[in-house]
Amino acid sequence: MSDRARAARIIAKRQVFEALISPGLYIALVVGLFLGYFLVSGFSRAVDSSGFNPQLHPLYDLIARALEGAFGKTFVDSLFAEGPLPFAFAVSFLPAFLYIAVSSVFKFGLEKNAGAVELVAYGPADGTSYLIASYVKDLFLVLLAIIVIVAFMVAAAAFYNYVAGPELFLTALVAFFLSLALFAYGVLASMLTGNASSSLALFVGIIAFFLVVLFGSFAIVGEYVRNLSTVVASAVQWISPFFYGNLSLKANAAGDSLGFFGGLALLVVLSGVILAASHFIIRARGVRA
Amino acid sequence: MKRAAAVITFLLALLPVFGQAPVRTENLIYSVLAFNGRDYSPTFVRAASGTIYLIAGVDNFLTVRKTLVYFWPLTGEWKTDTDSLNVPFDGTLEVTGRRGTTVPVILSRYTYFNERGEYELNWKVARDAEADRVWAHWAQIMDAYQAAMKDYRERVAKQGAERSSLIARIQSLRNAGKDVTALVDRLSNMLELEAPQPPQDYVVPPAEIQQAFILNLPRGEYSLRLRNPDGSIMEGSEKTLAVHEKRRSRGIGFEVIPGDKWTRPVESSTPSAVLYVDGSSDLYLRPYFEDEYNDLFYAKTIRNDDRGNPNLMKWERIQQVPRAEIQLTGAGPGATLIREEPWFVEQGQGATLGYKIVPYDPQGAQKGKDPSLIAFRIPLGRGSPVVGLQALDSAGKPLSGSARQIRVLAPPPAEIVLPLLALVPLAAMVLVIVGRARRHRRS
Amino acid sequence: MIQARALVKRYGTFTAVDGIDLHIRPGEIYGFLGPNGAGKTSTILMLLGITRPTSGEVFLFGERYTPSRLDLRRRIGVVPEKHPRGVWPWMTAEEYLRFFAELFAIPRPQERIDSLLKKVDLHGFRNKRIRELSRGMLQKLSFTRAILHDPDVLLLDEPISGLDPLGIQQVRDLIVSENRDGRSIFISSHQLSEMERICHRVAIISKGKLMAEDTMENLVARLFREREIHVELEKVPHGLAALMKKLPSVLDCTVNANTLIVTVPRQGDFRRVISEFLIGQSQVPLRIQERMVSLEEAFVTITQENIGSLVSSGGGG
Repeated sequence: MSDRARAARIIAKRQVFEALISPGLYIALVVGLFLGYFLVSGFSRAVDSSGFNPQLHPLYDLIARALEGAFGKTFVDSLFAEGPLPFAFAVSFLPAFLYIAVSSVFKFGLEKNAGAVELVAYGPADGTSYLIASYVKDLFLVLLAIIVIVAFMVAAAAFYNYVAGPELFLTALVAFFLSLALFAYGVLASMLTGNASSSLALFVGIIAFFLVVLFGSFAIVGEYVRNLSTVVASAVQWISPFFYGNLSLKANAAGDSLGFFGGLALLVVLSGVILAASHFIIRARGVRA
Repeated sequence: MKRAAAVITFLLALLPVFGQAPVRTENLIYSVLAFNGRDYSPTFVRAASGTIYLIAGVDNFLTVRKTLVYFWPLTGEWKTDTDSLNVPFDGTLEVTGRRGTTVPVILSRYTYFNERGEYELNWKVARDAEADRVWAHWAQIMDAYQAAMKDYRERVAKQGAERSSLIARIQSLRNAGKDVTALVDRLSNMLELEAPQPPQDYVVPPAEIQQAFILNLPRGEYSLRLRNPDGSIMEGSEKTLAVHEKRRSRGIGFEVIPGDKWTRPVESSTPSAVLYVDGSSDLYLRPYFEDEYNDLFYAKTIRNDDRGNPNLMKWERIQQVPRAEIQLTGAGPGATLIREEPWFVEQGQGATLGYKIVPYDPQGAQKGKDPSLIAFRIPLGRGSPVVGLQALDSAGKPLSGSARQIRVLAPPPAEIVLPLLALVPLAAMVLVIVGRARRHRRS
Repeated sequence: MIQARALVKRYGTFTAVDGIDLHIRPGEIYGFLGPNGAGKTSTILMLLGITRPTSGEVFLFGERYTPSRLDLRRRIGVVPEKHPRGVWPWMTAEEYLRFFAELFAIPRPQERIDSLLKKVDLHGFRNKRIRELSRGMLQKLSFTRAILHDPDVLLLDEPISGLDPLGIQQVRDLIVSENRDGRSIFISSHQLSEMERICHRVAIISKGKLMAEDTMENLVARLFREREIHVELEKVPHGLAALMKKLPSVLDCTVNANTLIVTVPRQGDFRRVISEFLIGQSQVPLRIQERMVSLEEAFVTITQENIGSLVSSGGGG
């Protein structure tokens, strides 16, 4: 193993330890699991003799109306086709993902300004080791979060007689691969700016931009907005994690396994490209606090 | 009293609608009779709408007319008022493809019909002379049927008169103390007259012959416009034509009819769908073939002002699966094979509300009545939480994409367990923080 | 050990370091001095590979050094100016050292950590969190981290800045002890009096240029061509200073209370001549003492007067 990879592993281990002795991740997980709990228990109350009917439960009525308004009835039908678990997983996952992403970007900026990267660079490591370590730490934590949430959903399935089927696990898989690229953008944002707040603002701005473009091209909107979104999307889709995630989900809906895994592979490629850019930036800017 | 109050409230709620009559505006529209995969459904494309949506590879019928168009808020859709204004236009429809080739289409006379019905789709279109021949054939068999019906009514009347006369004679002879056995025998032996069967040649009889531009195009995007007989282009007739096709076909969906709400069936079309029910009544299923279309394009083929998501695909019901069987697992010991059967909905007697669904007995209780539904009955109960089903074709082979699960949901045994599980990360956090603090204090 | 050749660092149009040559020899304590903004930090960062030179080269242990040569960086221990208090404040002192021990792949790390903590008198605080340690303890912890992997060279940036006299003494003793163990030590500091006491050689940088690099003695000899010899008498008779001035080797002679201040050339020993003269004048000197030029005086002289020629005439290291 090269010095850099070895150093990255050791730094990552330390950062994972730090995250696990801090309360933030646990609180984010609990919040997510409770959101998931409300969704899985609410679903059982929204079922009658003919099947799932969102109007029977106020929470699902609200969710269904909002999603139907934005994306159409077909979207809602296919979202809940297998049951509540894929949607509940996605909602449960959000708080943990946001916590990991935001705290990582913010922390990297703080540590860099405090001199941590410089300190480690005095040893057999460099800025690239540090950024790889930060990225690996994020992936480990998000994988841990996914495992906890999936386990909770499987338990919920046993309790309520839901199906913990392929859609749940595919959703988890797509969530993990999406995180690869989103965390890479977090690292890039930390490299591009000089302090923690700017990094965070840039990261949030990047993600919000991609989400808006996705929404504009995916949602049911007016023709002008759709045309504008399509033009913008055609320019930015190649660097948007949500574009590749959407490709995978569409391929899955069409029964195209190759397309599904192809989309995931492209997410890995995108992540690699962004991390490589981060490496060159930190090499050029240096690690000085 | 309560009913009257409800009606009044409803009418009052409609007041704003009645107060403001919908504004009718003159519009150049395209009337479209489009094939949607299972039958023909009419829609229209108003001036503000730039695109017409049709399915590829089938005959679709378009006309251009001037009429009044208005928005109907109760149903949230646009409507035409052809009773007030309806001016059809002649001319030539010019259809231009991507490569710039323009194909002229003239008005043709047509009719369409279906000979086999929802179990075996068999839509046919006849044009010009053939349309005349089909229509003449239909008119002929209808005339024959009408004549047979007339004859039947006459014979029924004659028989009725004869029966009345016989009864009167029997009564008077009996009163006179005479033997009426022969007359009674004659009365009993009077045969019940059979009504003539309606024509079975068509399930959907031929429509009255109309004139339209008939378009049958391959998938793609086109532009079209109407050239008037004088050679000028009809202003406002330029439209884009989006011709789409199914992505996948021969999927299997299920119409789900709950026993306690038999008039409100739902459809389960997603192949990976799970049917979650509360188990309070049995289910009656009707499997159908389905094709997969673009959500937006298909919605606008059916109704041009509808909305849909162009990024999603949707399975659309096309025809019932003929001569199918369903294999059930989990509803009892081993696998059970069930068949499609007719059922009858028996209303409660007298003041009793409600109904029950019973097997259709054409020779017994339901003699002279039609079945209420023909479906597969899936018995459910709380004792069978998971029921698996798979549709089989007439040869007994499983139909691809027809496997489903029915899951009967019940309240979990201890509702508190799941929220407690959600608190596990918090417990882990407390353990970690306390453990670290202890270690630190020891130092 | 560490050699820099024609190092240049420019930030836009501003030249922070302008063609510096340095040479730190094995086993020596090398002082690096300069006023604020002279280019010390920029030079140090280039030596460590933290920043890239605009031009010039750095050699570590005879090999050309680039930032990717992590193997060479292993042989250097660095104590930065301030321990980054904001970095990992949740870690205990021992966890901090264990982390770096793992990074450097030190064999039997716990033994090494324990012995070093005892050496710097921090063993009793090993489970204290970094945020709970005092400035002095943090500096010692930094020092421990820097020597954890037994480097050949120690690079210290303002190692005694902000410490109390006891802390200063402890750090000074550590530096000397490490040097005795064979480590070369590079110190950047403003505490000239301390540098004077422990450095074998010093380099003085001003406005990005290297002004001087030599031992203290040679530096003083090059800077100050004269010496002052203070002769303390019971009483200085009138006219004695004028007579002293007439001696051929005496450049100047002034009186300060009961002391004759005799200025003579740097080269040569004139105490005998002076003694003989005084005896000839029937004067008995109570004390004859040469005034030592301090490093501070040398520093001020160099940086204010910018005696650049000293660099070429002195021959430095």
